[in-house]
Amino acid sequence: MTRLIQLEVNGEIHEVSVKANETLLDVIRYKLELTGTKKGCDTGQCGSCTILLDGKPVNSCLILAMEARGKEILTVEGLAKNGQLHPLQEAFVQEGAVQCGYCTPGMLLSAKALLDENPSPTEEEVKEAIAGNLCRCTGYVKIVTAILAGAEKMRG
Amino acid sequence: MPKNLVVGQPIPRVDAVEKVTGRAVYGDDLRFSNLLHGKALRSPYAHAKILNINVTKAQKLPGVKAIVTGKDIPVLGGEALKDYPFLALDKARYVGEPVVAVAAVDEDIALEALDLIEVEYEELPALIDPLKAMEPNAPLIHEKLHTYEHIPIVRPVRNSNICHHVQFMKGDMDKAFDESDYVFEDTFTTQMVQHGAIEPHMAVAQVDPGGRITVWVTNDAPHRLRKDLAAALGIPLTKVRVALPPYMGGGFGGKGGLKVETLCIALATKTDDRPVKMVLTREEVFTSSLVRHPSIVQLKTGVKKDGIILAREATVIYDTGAYAEKGPTVCQQGCVAAVGPYKIPHVRVDGYCIYTNKPIAGAYRGYGHPQVAWAHESQMDIIAHKLGIDPVTIRLKNAVEEGDISPTGQQVLHSVGLKECIKKVAQNLDWTKPNKRNKGKGIACGYKNTKTPSGSSAIVKVSQDGSVEVLTSTVEIGQGAKTILSQMVAEELGVPLESITVATPDTDVTPYDASTTSSRSTFHMGNAVRKAAKDAREQLFEIASGLLGMETEDLRSEKGEIYSKDNPGSTLSFAETIKNQYGAGLDIIGKGSYYPLVEDGIGGMWSASSIFWMYGADYAEVEVDPETGQVKILRAIGAHDVGKAINPITCEGQIEGGMVHGIGPTLFEEMMVGERGDVLNPSFADYKMPTTLDIPEVTSLIVEAGHREGPWGAKGIGEMTTVPTAPAIANAIYDAIGVRIKDLPITPDKILSALRKKKLDG
Repeated sequence: MTRLIQLEVNGEIHEVSVKANETLLDVIRYKLELTGTKKGCDTGQCGSCTILLDGKPVNSCLILAMEARGKEILTVEGLAKNGQLHPLQEAFVQEGAVQCGYCTPGMLLSAKALLDENPSPTEEEVKEAIAGNLCRCTGYVKIVTAILAGAEKMRG
Repeated sequence: MPKNLVVGQPIPRVDAVEKVTGRAVYGDDLRFSNLLHGKALRSPYAHAKILNINVTKAQKLPGVKAIVTGKDIPVLGGEALKDYPFLALDKARYVGEPVVAVAAVDEDIALEALDLIEVEYEELPALIDPLKAMEPNAPLIHEKLHTYEHIPIVRPVRNSNICHHVQFMKGDMDKAFDESDYVFEDTFTTQMVQHGAIEPHMAVAQVDPGGRITVWVTNDAPHRLRKDLAAALGIPLTKVRVALPPYMGGGFGGKGGLKVETLCIALATKTDDRPVKMVLTREEVFTSSLVRHPSIVQLKTGVKKDGIILAREATVIYDTGAYAEKGPTVCQQGCVAAVGPYKIPHVRVDGYCIYTNKPIAGAYRGYGHPQVAWAHESQMDIIAHKLGIDPVTIRLKNAVEEGDISPTGQQVLHSVGLKECIKKVAQNLDWTKPNKRNKGKGIACGYKNTKTPSGSSAIVKVSQDGSVEVLTSTVEIGQGAKTILSQMVAEELGVPLESITVATPDTDVTPYDASTTSSRSTFHMGNAVRKAAKDAREQLFEIASGLLGMETEDLRSEKGEIYSKDNPGSTLSFAETIKNQYGAGLDIIGKGSYYPLVEDGIGGMWSASSIFWMYGADYAEVEVDPETGQVKILRAIGAHDVGKAINPITCEGQIEGGMVHGIGPTLFEEMMVGERGDVLNPSFADYKMPTTLDIPEVTSLIVEAGHREGPWGAKGIGEMTTVPTAPAIANAIYDAIGVRIKDLPITPDKILSALRKKKLDG
């Protein structure tokens, strides 16, 4: 069964035809062509498909597209505004927190959700917040540093 | 010497902005028109004859466009030993081996078609244990092993499951053991581990009406893949084009060789020019891509009372699974380093690469070295404790230095920063200070070679406006190659980093490179791009010397401007220089190639001597809970000799990432294989990789023992960083609670049973 639904992604309304069993991840990646959100396991275990749904980080591979109707979806493409990188993005670049980059979009969104709730997290709180996002390249060291640096930038 | 402006500077990665904005394009992000989707039906048996395949029902399913079996494309491929069928031929040799592949208009239909295919198997005895597989009368996994083509160094043993036996001998073992004050004999084992790159393998293949094949694929070596495919299919190299996506989501060795591309190509031969795409599921990545070799390492070491090692004998068994893949060269290169980075006069190494009916093992960050380092570094501590010598002192006493003969005797070592690495991590140690209860500290070191010889070519193209394009087949797999190659070109050519673009590897466009493996790119491709940049600069100087009325040898370039060293005020830009000579437009093309000479006489690819060796040492501090057996790593410090850090940030990233990568297989990562050869935990839920909650305080230290042939003295780093991690942790655990675990991973149950045994033994 296919249905035409509306999804609000990065502040834009998209009308899209989806199957009942289609995941939000697949719709974002393959129908809306927003390929910044990554697919690493499709079973909610790696975190690379993390997006914000009404501000909360979720694995978009575990959510049906139909369930996201009427909710605000934020993907990595929505982080930079008017060509200006988000402070977290800047910090990831400056601190060397990016290697292969496949986990990066999910990491950034998990980190943003944390900082939106808690602008001054401790290192332990940062580690907790991204514990569901696997990274095989960096050893997480510079990612944690970058999130703390991004928090500082956001506090101004 | 003027100070380097770009090389050696901690510059942010050139690809970072693309990656943080989600604009970076990976394999699954590429879009194709008229695309078909492929899926594979895989063997449920570890070892079985394929008696019959019936695809009639599947063929009738609307939307199915092609179905292939091994019989449709009965060829064998493989880098070291050609034993690998595109799809199972006659028999299946591991659970998860592709037997039939289907291409359909969408994935759902392809999956539905798989359910309609009937395969009749006759199950054969499965060989799971490599020691049983080595027995003289063991059933054969590859009956035709003796007929397979292979590269010169591979020595298969006829009528056996041994696909490679390597031997190194130096000195007189019997005499040396007689003269030793102590002889230590220990056996160490390592488990099956998965690379765990977060991006799964993918490929898209298209075969045009003229039979030319194009593959877009997540592969770490486009030219090697082209060669392997052309050789297997018996077609000219130029009939195959391998085009990579701009970025790859990690590899760690798991994305080389023939993987999902063979299935896509087999299908694409039957789809009338339509491209066929396959992306492996995470479960398929676990069962059917690649793993790290489980190993058994026996060490016999003779030492004098003062801790000087006289002799060391190593028998190393690498369990390579169903197909050789890179197993023979993993075995070869690991065994060259099996006795450790020590001056040992008497050495004997026997290495065996064994077929079993399990997932295929091959290249994995460290290429056989983490397995042997686990053994020699654990045993170094056993020896140190028995002799009452400080673990740092015993290593420094025996460590190789500049000018020493390599332990297995092939070459004179150069650029040896081992002692400095050990000393740097040891600065954090105070053995005289007693440990707090259940806390301990440990150290381990190691070394790693690079495949030698291997070649790299590059082109540096200066366009009419002075901007620069680097054509290289080095793959940006996460390590930062684009950044450091840009830095080298910027330095050599004298242009701003921002004016440089690095092309995406494509065998139609970018010149030959052996592979982005073996920690070889900084050194080999670094040399090639440096030569190419120099060539382009010399051509520009030739033109500019006429325009400026100066001798070429007096000219210099910086930030895209040419000037005389005697008159820096008067400059000529690259753009003006080109415009003056070629007003209607032309590129300046600089070319560079690098191919090292090999010292030893073993010959063929790849030799036992290495153009460079990387050295490193790790320090670990742990706390063990004797009630639960849980180990908490408190601190990890890694010091690595990189020759010269072209970019300290990317080097630190490798050290931090490598150590944390190493923590997983030390404490909890293990692919469990059942008696019938099936992987019991093929998911990230059941196969645990380190998360942020597992990481200690991590410090990375860079040592620079410059290499005379390296670009600016640089060597490599990527693989070495995981080599000493496991034994450093094991040695710290011993220091904390007095038990020695010799089998990885060091799980809580192993610690508890060792503690119980220790208590019983009093």
